[in-house]
Amino acid sequence: MNKNLDMRVNVLPALTYNFLHVNDSKIKEDSVGIDFLATPDAENVPEGVTVDRGVSYKEAGKLFEDAKERINVDLGIPGDPNGDTSGRDKAQAIRTGMGIDIENLMLESGALTDVFTVNEGVKTQKPIIIRYNLADGAGSLTSQIIHAKKDSEVTVIMDYTSERNASGFHGISTRLLAEEGAKINLVKTQTLGDGFIHFDDIGGACFNKGAINIVSLELGAKKSWNGCYINLCEEETQFVSNQGYLVRDSHTMDINYVADQRGKKTDVLMNVKGVLMDKAVKTYRGTLDFKSGSSGSVGDEQEDTLLLSPDVVNRSMPLILCQEEDVEGRHGATIGQLGEDLLFYINSRGIDEKEAKRLMVRAKLDSVARLIPDPEIAEKVQYYISTIV
Amino acid sequence: MSDNKQAVVEIDRSAYDFKDVENEKDFYRLKEGLNEETVLKVSEEKNDPEWMREFRLKCLKLYNEMDMPDWGPSVEGLDMDKISSYVRHKEDMKGSWEDVPEDIKNTFERLGIPQAERESLAGVGAQYDSELVYHNVKDEVAAQGVIYTDIESALRTEYADMIKSHFMKLLTPTDHKMMALHGAVWSGGSFVYVPKGVKVDIPLQSYFRLNAAGAGQFEHTLIIVDEGADLHFIEGCSAPKYNVANLHSGCVELYVGKNARLRYSTIENWSKNMYNLNSKRAIVEENGIMEWVSGSFGSHTSYLYPMTILKGDHSKMEFTGITFAGKGQNLDTGAKVVHQGVGTTSVINSKSISKDGGIGTYRSSVVIQSSAKKAKASVSCDSLMLDSISRADTIPGMDIRTDDADVGHEAKIGRISDEAVFYLMSRGLSEEDAKAMIVSGFANPVSKELPLEYAVEMNNLIKLEMGGH
Repeated sequence: MNKNLDMRVNVLPALTYNFLHVNDSKIKEDSVGIDFLATPDAENVPEGVTVDRGVSYKEAGKLFEDAKERINVDLGIPGDPNGDTSGRDKAQAIRTGMGIDIENLMLESGALTDVFTVNEGVKTQKPIIIRYNLADGAGSLTSQIIHAKKDSEVTVIMDYTSERNASGFHGISTRLLAEEGAKINLVKTQTLGDGFIHFDDIGGACFNKGAINIVSLELGAKKSWNGCYINLCEEETQFVSNQGYLVRDSHTMDINYVADQRGKKTDVLMNVKGVLMDKAVKTYRGTLDFKSGSSGSVGDEQEDTLLLSPDVVNRSMPLILCQEEDVEGRHGATIGQLGEDLLFYINSRGIDEKEAKRLMVRAKLDSVARLIPDPEIAEKVQYYISTIV
Repeated sequence: MSDNKQAVVEIDRSAYDFKDVENEKDFYRLKEGLNEETVLKVSEEKNDPEWMREFRLKCLKLYNEMDMPDWGPSVEGLDMDKISSYVRHKEDMKGSWEDVPEDIKNTFERLGIPQAERESLAGVGAQYDSELVYHNVKDEVAAQGVIYTDIESALRTEYADMIKSHFMKLLTPTDHKMMALHGAVWSGGSFVYVPKGVKVDIPLQSYFRLNAAGAGQFEHTLIIVDEGADLHFIEGCSAPKYNVANLHSGCVELYVGKNARLRYSTIENWSKNMYNLNSKRAIVEENGIMEWVSGSFGSHTSYLYPMTILKGDHSKMEFTGITFAGKGQNLDTGAKVVHQGVGTTSVINSKSISKDGGIGTYRSSVVIQSSAKKAKASVSCDSLMLDSISRADTIPGMDIRTDDADVGHEAKIGRISDEAVFYLMSRGLSEEDAKAMIVSGFANPVSKELPLEYAVEMNNLIKLEMGGH
């Protein structure tokens, strides 16, 4: 199947100056070949976890349709004061970071969904692993749902890889539901070839005391889009994300992470660490959205970007939207090259500037890679980083 | 503390909201709406040179072709068919307060402008509706070669070419719809030229009063601070409240020369039926310094983001601003900076307070171009929510195009700490006074940047807003 892609994705939750070119991103690609619509076999699926394979995207989405009112509880707030920036995405039963155009692509293309259901009270010991080893010229469009029932816990690792010089297309949609007291740990690692077009769209919701932890490392691909929208719709829910990225050559990366804090005492921590080299272009949007009723909630977003070439373009949009008095929201960003003091210190230890930069890049990305709970994949990713820098 | 309490009681919105009924026979008012006829009428009133008349018509064409931005607060309540673009008193501008028409003089007396001029200013311009009614600069400042006059007069002097080469060249009519509108119907405002090496020790001030209901004010401020010169310019604005929308779409263009410094301070207290769609931009040459101090208290809806272009190497910009959004207000404020020169530095400190259902949005952009090696930018924005029916958003943007830059950004949103209120109450303050004191402390980084008289006015405005009047 060949598809012409023309999609508007990663819409900023509150639009701003058009000259910054950050209000959204476009995926416009002609004649993209798609030949895989099913998720590869999962490894280490333990007892207490059921997998329904190859369910249609629409049928699988009923899980969220049935819980739509609970997830997107009507807060009775009239219109968004900064413009209805992503109103069309509200049609999604479970909103995703990249938005409804990805959902429509999945539906139109007949992408199949693997539904992982973790039974009540089950806490898996070893991570479930899904490996995408994509050949040169491959086109893959797949979907998963991870549904953790009450008081369960599961860890899923998805690893996308190919040969360094391979080209192709890889699109993925992962939807998450953490019920009362449940916890979903989702780890995604991407080391696709330099000719790949790649997108990774995540949407999730947490019920009472539910938690979602995401670790994401984006290291390859020519063009890459990441979106994540987590709806903390009930009390004491939690979302933690640790993202790392490396963008090089003339590659582009476009990110949109949103924490929709609706319940009382929700807790969000978003850490992003990245490195830009050569002529890389990166756009990061990160939003803490404290909705009315989210009293006692906290949110913290930290971005740390290392720039290693005079030709890189770094765009950052860290938003805090707030309609609740009793909350604490923070954002911090540090963007630049290695500090002169740090370089001087490293030089004084007999290490030259080039080696110092290499060490710092590895240190930055390894701090995220260390969070991968599978030694083999962690080692593979760390080796990949070492070969790049 | 009893003094402070007294201050809260004493301050009264009527200090700004009073209405001087305009006697129709004393005023000329252009009919509402915007078309070629009204633009030509404004041009005729201003006795424009030919190039300006043509410029206005081009701007009108642009205005009709452009859309309002698709971001930011709604301006649905603004209907240009119900706005008069030009209202003036039939008397001409005066150089002495005694000669200003009695009704207008009373307005400015109540606002304390003549007194401020006597006590602490080097010169004053006072605009009432669409025209300046008074303009004066102290002799000793004029003797240094400082020009401070209305633009219309300056267009007929030796400075005509200087104005022509700078007018709407920094903020152009194509920038956005409101700038096209401004270009079509601008009237009033000030021209300031500070010659090379001249340091003006005490500030100049322009005060803008929009007294007419259903009218627009489109003043143009053009300031050129030449090489090595130094100026502090203060801008104040107010209007009485009406039940119909008023519009302010001024344009401020600031040119800061090599090694020069300009501080531009604004206390904006438009009435809460005002759409304040104002634009300000500065360009700074080598080693020049641009400082903005901005207090936004009034208006129904504001779009206000003073922009600085750091063109020259090692030029600097500092923005210190506070916004207080109360009931019925949607104030979208912030700052923009573009780093072009090597070693340029920008510091943005912004505070915003939301109360009684007010919406305060901090919006900014920091752009570091590839030429701006060794540039440094630091942004800090704090928002304080005083209740749960209000809203505070921070929407900062950064676009960095060189590795040789150092950019730091931090933002915080929160409430007044219960512990701080409890502590102050244990020292005998009421809860209301304790919160007012904490908010004043929150605003202190801004008020300390203002001359004493203006800091007092700003603190009074905060107390007034905290009192919920």
